[in-house]
Amino acid sequence: MLGLLATLPWWAGDQYQIHLAALIAVYWILVAGLNLVVGFTGQLSIGHVGLLAIGAYAFAILAGRYEWSPWIALLASGSIGGVCGLLLGLPSLRLPGFYFAMATMAFALIVAEITLALGDLTGGGVGLAVPGFSAPFDSPAGFYLLLLGIAALITWFTWNVARFPWGRALVAIRDNPVAAESVGVPVFRMKLAVFVLSGITAGVAGALFASLQSYITPDTFVFELGLFFFVCIIIGGRSSIVGPLVGTAVLTALPELVAPLAKLGNLFYGVLLLAVVLLVPEGIGRLFEVLLARLRPERAASHVLEPDTERLAAAIRKGRDA
Amino acid sequence: MLGVIVTGLAIGALYAATALAYNVMYSTSKVLSVTTGHLAMLGGVFGAWFVTALGWPPLLALPAALVVGAFAGWLTDVIAIRRVLKRSDEHLWLLSTLALATIVQQGVGLWWGTEPKPFPRLLPQDFSSGIADQKYWLPIATTVLMALALELFYRRTLYGKLFIAMSEDTFAARARGIETDRIRSTSFAIAGALGALAGFAAGQLTFAFFALGLTLTLNGFIALAVGGLGSNVGALVGGAALGLLNTISANLIGGEYQNTVSVGALMLILLLKPEGIFGARNVRPV
Amino acid sequence: MKFRTLLATCAIAMLGLAALPATAADPIRIGWLSSLTGALSSAAIAENQGVQFAVEEINQAGGINGRKIELFTYDTQGDPTKAVNFAQRLAFVDKVHFVIGPVNSGESLATVPIVAKAGIPNLIIGTIDELVDPKKYPRAFRAINTNRQWIAAANDYALKTLKHSKVAVIGDTSGYGTSSAKTAAELLEKAGVKPVFSTLVDPNKTDLTDELAKAKAAGADVLMPWSAATGLLARLLNARGDMGWKVPVVGHPALMAPAIRKLLNKPEYWTEAYAAGYVSMTAGSDGKLPIATKALIERMRSKLGGNEVDFMFWWVALGYDTVRIVEHAVKKAGGTEPAAIQKVLETTPELRGVYATYGWTAEDRNGFPDVGIIMNLADSFKDGTYKPAQR
Repeated sequence: MLGLLATLPWWAGDQYQIHLAALIAVYWILVAGLNLVVGFTGQLSIGHVGLLAIGAYAFAILAGRYEWSPWIALLASGSIGGVCGLLLGLPSLRLPGFYFAMATMAFALIVAEITLALGDLTGGGVGLAVPGFSAPFDSPAGFYLLLLGIAALITWFTWNVARFPWGRALVAIRDNPVAAESVGVPVFRMKLAVFVLSGITAGVAGALFASLQSYITPDTFVFELGLFFFVCIIIGGRSSIVGPLVGTAVLTALPELVAPLAKLGNLFYGVLLLAVVLLVPEGIGRLFEVLLARLRPERAASHVLEPDTERLAAAIRKGRDA
Repeated sequence: MLGVIVTGLAIGALYAATALAYNVMYSTSKVLSVTTGHLAMLGGVFGAWFVTALGWPPLLALPAALVVGAFAGWLTDVIAIRRVLKRSDEHLWLLSTLALATIVQQGVGLWWGTEPKPFPRLLPQDFSSGIADQKYWLPIATTVLMALALELFYRRTLYGKLFIAMSEDTFAARARGIETDRIRSTSFAIAGALGALAGFAAGQLTFAFFALGLTLTLNGFIALAVGGLGSNVGALVGGAALGLLNTISANLIGGEYQNTVSVGALMLILLLKPEGIFGARNVRPV
Repeated sequence: MKFRTLLATCAIAMLGLAALPATAADPIRIGWLSSLTGALSSAAIAENQGVQFAVEEINQAGGINGRKIELFTYDTQGDPTKAVNFAQRLAFVDKVHFVIGPVNSGESLATVPIVAKAGIPNLIIGTIDELVDPKKYPRAFRAINTNRQWIAAANDYALKTLKHSKVAVIGDTSGYGTSSAKTAAELLEKAGVKPVFSTLVDPNKTDLTDELAKAKAAGADVLMPWSAATGLLARLLNARGDMGWKVPVVGHPALMAPAIRKLLNKPEYWTEAYAAGYVSMTAGSDGKLPIATKALIERMRSKLGGNEVDFMFWWVALGYDTVRIVEHAVKKAGGTEPAAIQKVLETTPELRGVYATYGWTAEDRNGFPDVGIIMNLADSFKDGTYKPAQR
């Protein structure tokens, strides 16, 4: 399957489709990390666009102004994203849900303020030109393959995090943090670790996004983009990896293909989000999986994680009795 | 400097009013709605529309705007809260109110336009009155009256006592035969009317602007968190402090770091006193 | 298993994308990147009317050299990411011969390199200086004035005509506002003037009394706001009027936007405000608009609702002219070959349009002449016409 996607440059009609596919891959790199935070751990961050902007500006400044090798700048952007994730997560992850969501939103606004205010570093309102990668990744097709590779790697990584006990612990934190704590899950440390990971993927995605766009200005990193990432995950389905992946692909491509939807813009995302939350809180991706499972019953083993509440309850009871 | 303080108090009054609206909804539902700031935005936009486009006198436009706000508040409960609270998932209400807030803001943007539009003069007063101008005093006076009225409502009326009963223990209240669904709907409608009233009173300061809602949702929340969730005195103090912080910091270091300063202050206070200045210490829900 | 299946579904969706057909080569295809919705839509909507009207006129007259114009309009919503997507689409799916736009500077900065890389002639209608560069983007030609031209005209008026030199520069914290305020300070410094006060204000700030009080305390005798936010400019004028401070305001064209009138506390607050404007939109000594402008207004009046023109008509004229520039280039070049178009445009010394008389050279891609800018009285707007500020 990955092979088929990898050959896209050869069967895609034109460069626009390659660009769109590349954009989906970049968004997914961020959403894959954010998915662990939102979809698995249940921390509703609506401000990851701030981390994306930090990665993008770090890359543009390091690779552009200081002429670092794009590869080193990419690693640096990821690290800076991770550090900023740590700095944001340390105070805010201790806060309850709504407080946390507001803190991340405020973080996105603060990053926007600072990119404008530090004009000498960030180019202020005029923004910065961003260099590309060296051959063979300098062509649209080559860059797309690079993005696909990184996206696959990150998908594989989050897949493993989600599948192993780690993932179960995260879901337990989402569904009942107190119970999770009582069975020995280091709640805060795990939340923080996942959040820092999402900061790293956001930083990497930012660097690649900047390079794909070839020019960045503060206008690019509007708060609505953060909302978009968030909506991709909720609509795709929580505690699933495939759902948000499809969500990202469909929500990126749909407004491009259906012009009337583009006109409605964020209203469309709002309506979609409301419909999903009220009608299928598990997300459309989950619905899709159920349907697929029905079509192919012999392969119905689901990878979607459900909290093992019985076991947790048993553990709690045991702890109480002891 | 007096000008800076009056402006800060006026904008702080709007934040405080938003925080009061948060409190009213929170008391009966334990929900912090993302639409709270948008209720005030609706009061400003509809107030301006009634007066400038439909030509109604302000005395008619004000109750009409309150009705719009109350309806929007009630709708928030019906659409985004009622169904969601029945499920066990704690976070769904955040998603549903966020979705509704996005719909309201973008819908108003498409209908009303994305440019700020004028809000009419409410009382005959010369424009050269400086800091005595109604655009400063109306929101301040309205918010103080609003807080007093709420206090009376909670203490003196049966409905108010029902609110308090629900805020202390919803299950016990329901067990005693209180129709909790209806009380909650009522509280959301009241919050909507209060929000719209604040938006209407501050309209000359903010203009009728579609994107005001999200700013107020954030800043009203900061006022609430600083003052202490659930405390009306805290909402007033938090709002005033935040408004003053905004204008004084803009005066001293310029407007570029406005959000950075207010959020920095919030983080500091939450680290030192997580329940806010006047808040009751939270018991973690199990 | 699931993962693979869904990847397959994605891939199928992509295949669907691939099936879009390519169009025949006969008509002249013009791509028009316009932010018809979103935060800064008013200019784009007006420009769109001009573009549409010019295309209609030309097509009704039989097209350019017998070739009809086919217009591809995309709404970027002012979002650079969407603008980049649509620029790719124009270049590689629609395979257009020309790209007009985008409208906002932030979007243009992102799309200009892409259109340039595809080798397509691009008519720029953003004012930020960095948008044109004959070496990096040889086929990007600017039709609108630059930000510098506005600022230089305003500075010149404040310093030389009004003879005020204690300048207070007020920008907003948006991307456009910060970069304009910086350029303004830079140009003032060149003229040997250091602003006595300068500040950046959040475009949604509710009250500017404090900023003005500080400017007054610093001894300012002229206020120069550089912001495209009409709400902010109206608040500035209101604060000045409420304070009873008689100080001239000289600055950005948005100062004379008709939308300001309704936001003012009193109509007289708009006096002693001067904005950089256009000769083509300003009444001459006979009190009338230039003939070309008047003619376009009359031709379009039924399209514009039949009433008085109650918005800034230059956006319409600019949009109209961009299509006429395409016509000029195609006629002269005898086709749509990009290199030939470039050659024609860079050797166009004087092309008469409605909005301005354009001229480009091999070294300079800014087509708008300095003499096309004039200072206007901000409150003088009537039926698309402004009055000149006294010299």
